[in-house]
Amino acid sequence: MKKLDRYGYAFIAPFWVVFLTFSIYPVFLTLYYSFTNYTGSPGEEIVGFANYARLLTDTFFIEAFVNTIKIWGVNFALQIGLALLLALLFSDLRLKLKGLAFFRSFFYLPNLITISSVALLFGILLDWQHGSLNMMLLKLGIISDPINWLSQPVTAQLSVSLILTWMWFGHSFIIVMAGVSGISKDFFEAAHIDGANRWQMFTYVTLPLLKPILLYIMITSLIGGLQLFDLPLLLTDGIGAPDGSLNTMVLYLYNQAFKYNNYGYAAAVAYGLFLITLVFSAVVFKGMFRKERAAQKGA
Amino acid sequence: MRKLVSLLSIGALSVGVLSGCSDSEGGTSGSNSGSKDDVLKVWSFTDELKEPIKTYEERNGVKVELTIVPIADYPTKLKPALESGVGAPDVFTGEIAFLKQWVDAGYWENLSEDPYNVNEIADDYIPYVFDLGKDSDGNVRALSWQTTPGGVYYKRSLAKEVLGTDDPAEIGDMMSSMEGVFEVAEKMKEKGYKMFPDEGAIRWFSQGANPEAWVNENNELVLTEDKINYMDYAKELRDKQYTALAPEWSPSWFEGMSKPIKVKEGGTETETQVFSYVLPTWGLHSVLKDSAKDTAGDWAVTNGPSPYFWGGTWLGVYEGSKNKEAAYDFVKLMTQDEEFLTDWAEETGDVLAFKPVTDKIKDDFSDEFLGGQNNYEFFLGQADEITPGIVTKYDQQLDTLYGASVLQYVEGKKTKDEAIAEFKKQAKNAYPDIQVD
Repeated sequence: MKKLDRYGYAFIAPFWVVFLTFSIYPVFLTLYYSFTNYTGSPGEEIVGFANYARLLTDTFFIEAFVNTIKIWGVNFALQIGLALLLALLFSDLRLKLKGLAFFRSFFYLPNLITISSVALLFGILLDWQHGSLNMMLLKLGIISDPINWLSQPVTAQLSVSLILTWMWFGHSFIIVMAGVSGISKDFFEAAHIDGANRWQMFTYVTLPLLKPILLYIMITSLIGGLQLFDLPLLLTDGIGAPDGSLNTMVLYLYNQAFKYNNYGYAAAVAYGLFLITLVFSAVVFKGMFRKERAAQKGA
Repeated sequence: MRKLVSLLSIGALSVGVLSGCSDSEGGTSGSNSGSKDDVLKVWSFTDELKEPIKTYEERNGVKVELTIVPIADYPTKLKPALESGVGAPDVFTGEIAFLKQWVDAGYWENLSEDPYNVNEIADDYIPYVFDLGKDSDGNVRALSWQTTPGGVYYKRSLAKEVLGTDDPAEIGDMMSSMEGVFEVAEKMKEKGYKMFPDEGAIRWFSQGANPEAWVNENNELVLTEDKINYMDYAKELRDKQYTALAPEWSPSWFEGMSKPIKVKEGGTETETQVFSYVLPTWGLHSVLKDSAKDTAGDWAVTNGPSPYFWGGTWLGVYEGSKNKEAAYDFVKLMTQDEEFLTDWAEETGDVLAFKPVTDKIKDDFSDEFLGGQNNYEFFLGQADEITPGIVTKYDQQLDTLYGASVLQYVEGKKTKDEAIAEFKKQAKNAYPDIQVD
């Protein structure tokens, strides 16, 4: 019996070797670096909490945090709204829309394109002088001068949000759709008999039953969103232009480490980011569940 | 039996997992096996060295293994190898963007010492090129075969029509000061042409007549009067509509080289042509000749208000190499071998930094693309005027940060003072140890 136990360990050993070397070790190495002034070559000195003290007062990091939340927030609202709307249309008993399988993969397609291609594509579409978007708006007479989308903070942030929405609404739609299909038809029929209209059915039946699914989407999207990096890097000059509006937390981390060689400080930024992610996830999780428990008690 | 099967499968699994890792980690580093001494390992970020390596292999009978890592990953891949010495190259190249950092990091062998003593041939090189390979103690760590001074490439047909001449010397005279450049720009505008593709084009002249390093010996940030004036020049270019609003490397920037392009400003759309592009030596071979095939022969190159250089590749011997002699032989071939360098220059048109060769070949050079102009002589003249000793390891990033701030001012989003303040704040943030007033 005991002998067999050891085989088990042997089988999981390869995973652990890799996991410890490539995941756990770097995590602790980063923690160590965050207390040093490491610049990429050996000879670093321990500087205590200096990097963390700087992080707390770093206006660029705070700006990056606000930017990241803004960009993610707009994207998430649109993404989940669109996903819910589509799920509602496709699950409506009276509408009986066809082609769910086709649309499911069709909406998911943008997610399969590599992010650099997406950035290139939208870079051309949003181009100031020669972009298709401006050409179209000019032809329609909506604007008289081309808008330089990526050179103004508001439009640049909005552009990134919308690109993210375009990339991810299909993904959310599939998950929401799965959640909706899991709701027993009996609820809808009962609500229908009771005279509920579509909006009431949505708010009193669909939404409450979808809560765990929505929570899942929100947490995964939030964690992904807080790590927003590649689009801002590729769309403009890589340091957050225009006027720091596309400076996100991970982009800031990347620039501090690999462009300015402040590895020690970048490590502190990484841990700051980790704590923020942790706090946000906890808040979302708690908030969702407390309401649920309250609801259960009430019932 | 069962035991054997389990052991075998564990073995197979671990091999699979571990080889999976080593694959992603060292996919470009080639094989590390075999005795190290008969293979010379060279790392670079372009395939430029393929030809010289062939020559080297033929001459010395030593096998060379070239590893090419794309420029974006080059420093991140190379650094760990150099730090640990595991899988490290014997010879590696460095681009101007990180050259200054690397010469001081001690990765390259000190070439000023025995047995190399390169200081003895210092006079054979273009001064600024030789100087850039020195560390902060003045020891040479890396050499370069090329020099990459810049000029202003313009279209001869437009020059003739608007300025009455297409002679590079005469046009160079007209553009020998910023005021001169703006006069030409105004004339171009009157005829419906645009002087430059975008206002970033003149950033190379932002140093003015008295170039200074971004960071001085006291570790202070230096924002010279000339660099501040550059902000106004850039804004003037934009405000007076002297540019085609085609940012560098954008599709329209390339299009403007050979075709009329459309510009939308002030509620109207006009079709126009771009008169000139500010590019260095390599701009001719890697940019213009590729993207302006239709207008070949209609180009010429001349000077702007001040000499400048853009880019360049240096190479040296890895300090931890076990094969230093062979490694330095390769560096020598690339930077001092008259026979090889003569062939190289004639084949590629690369402007060399090694004077014994350039003195011999510069007089009878001419380029069809430039209407038969001898661009070699022109560039060598420019290279000699470049002030050595003003490049710092901060340049690449500070230039980017400053450029972003200038753009804010050009587009009217910030006042001049705000833009300067923002730049200083950014500079301080990127490099906390620099003194910023």
